[in-house]
Amino acid sequence: MIGLISYLIFFTTVAAILSIAVLGLNLQWGNSGLFNGGVVAFFGAGAYGTLILGGTPQSAHLGGYELFYPLALLGGMCAAGLMAWIVGKLTIRLRHDYLAIATFGVAVAFENLMRNAEALAGGAQGLRGFERPLHAWLGDGFTYNAIFLVFVLILLIATYKFLEVLIRSPFGRLLRAIREDETAAQSLGKDPAKIRLTSLIIGSVIIGLSGGLYATFYAFISPQDILPILTFQIWAMLIVGGAGNNRGAVAGAFLIWGAWTASGWGLSRFAPLEMQLYTGSIQFILIGLVIVGMLLWRPQGLFPEKLVVSQSGRTKHVKNRE
Amino acid sequence: MKKQAKHLALAFGLVTGIASYGTAALAQDCTTKIGAVLPTSVDWGKPIAATAQYVVDLVNEAGGAAGCKIEMVLRDSQVDPKVGVDAAKALVDLDGVQVLLGAVSSGVSMPILTSVTAPAGVMQMSCCSSSTAFTGLAKDGKTKGLWFRTFATSGVQAAVGAMVARDQGYKSVAIMYKNDDWGQDIGKLIAGDFEALGIKVTASVALNDGQASYRAEVTEALKGQPEALYMALYPKEGTAAVREWLSLGGTQNMIVANSLKSDEFRDNVGLKYLGKLIGTDTASPRSNSASAFVDQYTAHFGKAPSGPGLANSYDATMIALMAMEAAGKGADGAKVASMVSKVTDASGTPVTADVAGFKKAKDVLAGGGSVFYQGATGNVRFDANGDVSAPAVTWGFSDAGNKELSFISLTDVDAFIASLK
Repeated sequence: MIGLISYLIFFTTVAAILSIAVLGLNLQWGNSGLFNGGVVAFFGAGAYGTLILGGTPQSAHLGGYELFYPLALLGGMCAAGLMAWIVGKLTIRLRHDYLAIATFGVAVAFENLMRNAEALAGGAQGLRGFERPLHAWLGDGFTYNAIFLVFVLILLIATYKFLEVLIRSPFGRLLRAIREDETAAQSLGKDPAKIRLTSLIIGSVIIGLSGGLYATFYAFISPQDILPILTFQIWAMLIVGGAGNNRGAVAGAFLIWGAWTASGWGLSRFAPLEMQLYTGSIQFILIGLVIVGMLLWRPQGLFPEKLVVSQSGRTKHVKNRE
Repeated sequence: MKKQAKHLALAFGLVTGIASYGTAALAQDCTTKIGAVLPTSVDWGKPIAATAQYVVDLVNEAGGAAGCKIEMVLRDSQVDPKVGVDAAKALVDLDGVQVLLGAVSSGVSMPILTSVTAPAGVMQMSCCSSSTAFTGLAKDGKTKGLWFRTFATSGVQAAVGAMVARDQGYKSVAIMYKNDDWGQDIGKLIAGDFEALGIKVTASVALNDGQASYRAEVTEALKGQPEALYMALYPKEGTAAVREWLSLGGTQNMIVANSLKSDEFRDNVGLKYLGKLIGTDTASPRSNSASAFVDQYTAHFGKAPSGPGLANSYDATMIALMAMEAAGKGADGAKVASMVSKVTDASGTPVTADVAGFKKAKDVLAGGGSVFYQGATGNVRFDANGDVSAPAVTWGFSDAGNKELSFISLTDVDAFIASLK
């Protein structure tokens, strides 16, 4: 039983960390219509930033400043935000698919940079030598994971609340106005480029937070963690959960990550012995079916977007945005 | 929302119910589970997993290990660190394994080690992770002696390359290496080895894949006018780089890693320029156990073991299971890990890597003796960091392809590496 609880704590931690990234993407895509195809770049910036600032000194590369952990995490978030600012300045005027292509390119470039820049981030071997915070007192077993989960959940709830307030604020309405009709918003004297940039940066800082927590949890990050597959996983979570709805974003993260891991577990336990070698491929088919099925039968996601029409907060369902 | 929660709870109860039913049914015939996290969804990963499963079958044929049948629970890593770590955690927590085989990629094995097996005290044995980062981690004491791998690190090839340079009497060498984790590793290692032997490294240059020309890199390597050139490159960029190197007046004294042991490279550069080239490679040991593995594998799978990591996977699984046998029933991961040295003990009774060998090992261990495992990769012996060494060969190109120049036994390799430190 203790094993089951221990595993559930572990699973919930990873799912909660990914939820934070999905929430960040939801601000960008769900609320502002920014097609960020380079989620991993910001995730990676947060992860690398945190480990470089918070790790122990390593002879081979930069880093090991052993900064107080919250500062290191904040530094990672700033790194993600800074990168979003630079990328945004260059690309924010691009629309939809063009922005997606540009940001995707940034993500691939970032991965390659980390793979090659040995002096900066350990190159292809990745960054190690990070001491998990409070490790000395809590050990690294069950207690540690339980307390870390609480820490992650607090940050998840804080992020959720922050975003709920943000999208209900005048700024949130402005985001949706620009998403729906940029020209109309401009005619009212708003500056779409600036607003879009702000949204990109806030979303990326949140994604960076997720990356920082991820690297903290594993005490390790390597270029293999920031391959494009992660971008697609996070997108799948948002689409399945429901773009534009924060609750949907969190639910989607838990659901997709749950399906991803449970299918592997179930197959390893129940598939016949001679099929065991092929379960990896079967698992990919199952995950693909879940995503395609969702897109076919419930394209608006599990929790569709609720549009707040006035400050009184009356809501109505909008079936399909497109 | 409440209703949903109820349904969820119900579904959850059902799943755990089924799960516990499964374990209860198995407990009667006494089964010990071991875990495996391998990339079965990748074509070259499947045979590695099949080999591990085959070893488990062999051991069960010999009556199991530590008094119980062995069941290997196999999970796919998808070559994705998140997925691999989750699978490992599930194996440790839900299936209660004390021994975990895997993973293949260093980038997956590493987070499994730092966040699952080392904290939980589970022994982890990888067939194929080559990164030197593990050695560093072990030196820092972070692996707690729970980490092993049956794949010889790049250290062996680097050392033998340096040995060749010394034997040839080269005083200065330039290094060109492929810009990935393998190349970065070996480039750094051999630079250190050259320094240790008093050979001057005039330049160390990284080459990226797929460039049309390497003139800039080659020019940089030529600057210090080295007596010889060391290359850890793949045939494609190796060919391009060597052509430029020779056309710019570089020396024909070349030492290369096994990655250039290819006819493509020989033909495209031209044999007449490669007369002074000496290559290095880790070798299958000249032992009966290695050829016995090949025969046994061929008989079982109907084809010779030709993919990467098969012999290593075989040994990893066999050694892990022998260590379990030595540790006895119900032993935890740390206990099993501490027994690895007992089954790879050079002064112990030699045993073969098959059913008969495992039975013999059981008898010897039951009598309180120690065992010297003779595996598919030879007489495997781990150092304090969980790394293994391997015998090596040097080779050169010939009309027919390539020919072996000399064989350097494991003892000589070990002695030479020790002399460098």
